[in-house]
Amino acid sequence: MTRMARILGIPLLLVASLTALADAQSSAGRAISGAWVPMGGGRGAAADPKIAPPPATPIVLKPAYAKMFDARRAADAEATKRGDAPATPAVLCLPYGMPRMMTVASYPIEILQTPGQITIVTEAFSEVRRVFLDQPQLPIDEVPPGFYGHSVGRWDGDTLVVDTVGIKESVPGYNLMPHSDQMRITERIRLVTPDVLHDQITIEDPVALEKPFTYTLAFRRLPNYKMVEFVCENNREYIDEQGRVRMKVGGQK
Amino acid sequence: MRLIVGRSLFVLLAAAVTGAVSARAHHSFSMFDTATPVTLTGVVSSVEWTNPHVYIELDLTEPVKGARHWSIELGSPSILQRGGWKFNSVRKGDKVTAIVSPLKSGEPGSLLTRITLPDGRVLGNGGPTGVGPGITAPPATAPVK
Repeated sequence: MTRMARILGIPLLLVASLTALADAQSSAGRAISGAWVPMGGGRGAAADPKIAPPPATPIVLKPAYAKMFDARRAADAEATKRGDAPATPAVLCLPYGMPRMMTVASYPIEILQTPGQITIVTEAFSEVRRVFLDQPQLPIDEVPPGFYGHSVGRWDGDTLVVDTVGIKESVPGYNLMPHSDQMRITERIRLVTPDVLHDQITIEDPVALEKPFTYTLAFRRLPNYKMVEFVCENNREYIDEQGRVRMKVGGQK
Repeated sequence: MRLIVGRSLFVLLAAAVTGAVSARAHHSFSMFDTATPVTLTGVVSSVEWTNPHVYIELDLTEPVKGARHWSIELGSPSILQRGGWKFNSVRKGDKVTAIVSPLKSGEPGSLLTRITLPDGRVLGNGGPTGVGPGITAPPATAPVK
């Protein structure tokens, strides 16, 4: 090796080492595979403000959607007042869909990282969503409206940015709010500590919302957890002809 | 219209403070009278370890509210497992005592608060187990026999 090559080689080696180090750090920051449980119903652990998610921003619906939402809330409040469970699609064992599927009570979710794809499986109702990495998003009118829509993702440093469109209007939105078929969900998923994951969710809907709003869910890692199956085979709750939620008793099927 | 938007915003903010994320997977528990629990003692006629809920059917030793047979709804297998249950923790033929919240409709159906097994073990309806809050039934106010 010539003297010049040695002189040039040292900085090159240094740069290569720093790059490798950055990659290693980045790769550790991107290791989100595994089971995760919502902390405090997704609202985080109040005891530790360092890892608590920031409060949600206000949701301001456009007048027509505000009216729909008010009617819905009033009906639910009336049902609760007379001692009934509000009649939601989940009573009929319909899955939650996006974005509510990301936190259903204390049910864990499982994230699976494979080349070109990240798959998220929920324990409640065994829902599955697939995030296709480094692909352009489809125009909304090319995605058949469904419960999970079409999701694409990319890594922005240690943050997984996921864009989802194509959620059908009959799938209730965040807090059961109504939305249009133009809803767009942007998630920024990142580890805030090695064992705490935040999913910052921004909902945009130019038809239903006056402006976008953002809320953040918090999860804790569940090492070695084996996801439990959830097949809704024995639903004794039903909605009667008056729209009231009832429970079959005494072995009625 | 402005009024409607304003009211809706208020409701949403109130919801964000009081419980932005639903605590129940399948349905609300408002159909059960959690304020007046009852104690059921009897023999298990069947156990259904199923989703969305586990059910225990109980033939009572003495009728309660005029019924000799009661249905008891529990959380899901997932929630119960994380609360210390196994699928065979309760078996057909077991004599058990359960504290339950009865249906407000007056029908002999209920939501489990806790159950005492033949060997004296007491199991709740899921609940905190180190992995976050489960479907937590209200605390029992009646003593377990």
